[in-house]
Amino acid sequence: MSEKIGRKFVLPGELISEESIKLGEGVYKEGKKIYASIMGLLDLKQNFVRVIPITGKYVPHVNDYVIGMVNGTLFTGWDVDINAAYNGILNGRDYINTFDLSQEKLVKALPPGSVILSSVREISPTKKVYISMADRGARVLKGGRLLNINPTKIPRLIGKKSSMISMIKSEVKCTIIVGQNGRIWLDGKPELVSIAVKAIEIIEKNTQMPGLTDHIKKIIIEQREKL
Amino acid sequence: MKKIGQPKKFIVKGKRLDGRKPDEMREVKIKAGVLERPDGSAYLEWGGNKVLAACYGPREVHPRHLSMSHKALLRCTYNMAPFSVNDRKRPGPDRRSTEISKVTRQALEPVVLTNLFPKTAIDVFIEILQANAGTRCTGITAASVAIADAGIPMKDLIPACAAGKVGGEIVLDMFDVEDNYGEADLPISIMPKTGDVSLLQMDGNFTEEEFKKALNLAINGCKEIHKVQVNALKEKYGGN
Repeated sequence: MSEKIGRKFVLPGELISEESIKLGEGVYKEGKKIYASIMGLLDLKQNFVRVIPITGKYVPHVNDYVIGMVNGTLFTGWDVDINAAYNGILNGRDYINTFDLSQEKLVKALPPGSVILSSVREISPTKKVYISMADRGARVLKGGRLLNINPTKIPRLIGKKSSMISMIKSEVKCTIIVGQNGRIWLDGKPELVSIAVKAIEIIEKNTQMPGLTDHIKKIIIEQREKL
Repeated sequence: MKKIGQPKKFIVKGKRLDGRKPDEMREVKIKAGVLERPDGSAYLEWGGNKVLAACYGPREVHPRHLSMSHKALLRCTYNMAPFSVNDRKRPGPDRRSTEISKVTRQALEPVVLTNLFPKTAIDVFIEILQANAGTRCTGITAASVAIADAGIPMKDLIPACAAGKVGGEIVLDMFDVEDNYGEADLPISIMPKTGDVSLLQMDGNFTEEEFKKALNLAINGCKEIHKVQVNALKEKYGGN
């Protein structure tokens, strides 16, 4: 994101403002003073302040698309690893359409190790993360390749109005699904998928680089010609 | 490293045995994010001390019964490598490392915003690769950088530093000979923003004036360490 460049880099404990404004993530208030609580880039607007994290774990938000891995079954659903501090809970009824939610049926429908594309439905006050497969596009991801990157780099990978990810998709002609939790699922010709993986790794390392989209495009075309 | 016996004098012509002035610190170097597997890490060299710290979390608590419904569990583990000292150290936890793990946790707890992640655990591991006096301060300093590197919300960075008394004089940041044969040792850690003290231990005897002098000296040392911590994180993440 080009507007990120020039933003002030802040560290935990750094004084941000003494005015009374709305607080976003990554800041805390002590008395009348506002301080940063995480390391990142300062986003200070007229009536709102937050710190954009540059490192750290995925924090679930409602309606986020996440790629989960099924750990096992619960009493009436599944325990899903969503790469966050809390595991996701997928209710049995959200995926299989039967009255009988026996353990055999649950295991048969989503055996441990299955990779699923789901969305965050609700986060309870006791920090239980309920995920759902009812949303459009939610499904079991079979085959393909799974890639993990730092969740804070996902906005850069998607780009402004998803410019970056759609460019990669059209250049390498394979299916790419990006989860907000830092997991990326790729499917297509193995050689082309490898090129996409390389491109994503470069993006992760150079998020701050100006003109990154064009640079990545050049690299992909170069690699594709070598095939 | 050669073993040195007790010296006759600790301060000769206003200079200490390693050539430093009484209020001078050893050179400190910190590198953030050196490891790939943990969520955050830091490598620190402080004179002859070499320390690696790593941080995981917030993540699920195992065993489950340790989890708390209102805040995250902070666990610290301090461990010395067998080759970190002159005579081989028997590996594994012992009385000393258990104590240092505990004081490290208590030094870091006031700044880490554990209330944001109920029912989770934040694990901090400190490995002493080479020891040369003052490893608990070194460990806390490195751990604090590792936690910031992991992106865990915290109120402030925690620098730690020790002052002590050798040959009747108050000195900052003692090295091994001074630590072994000195009269007193005062490791502290502070929150630079507020000046609050989160660790204060004392070994040996100070008079009241000596204690005040040593405390002020150590606080100044901590402030210098804080600058090094900030620079280490800025260097890694290209801050302006």
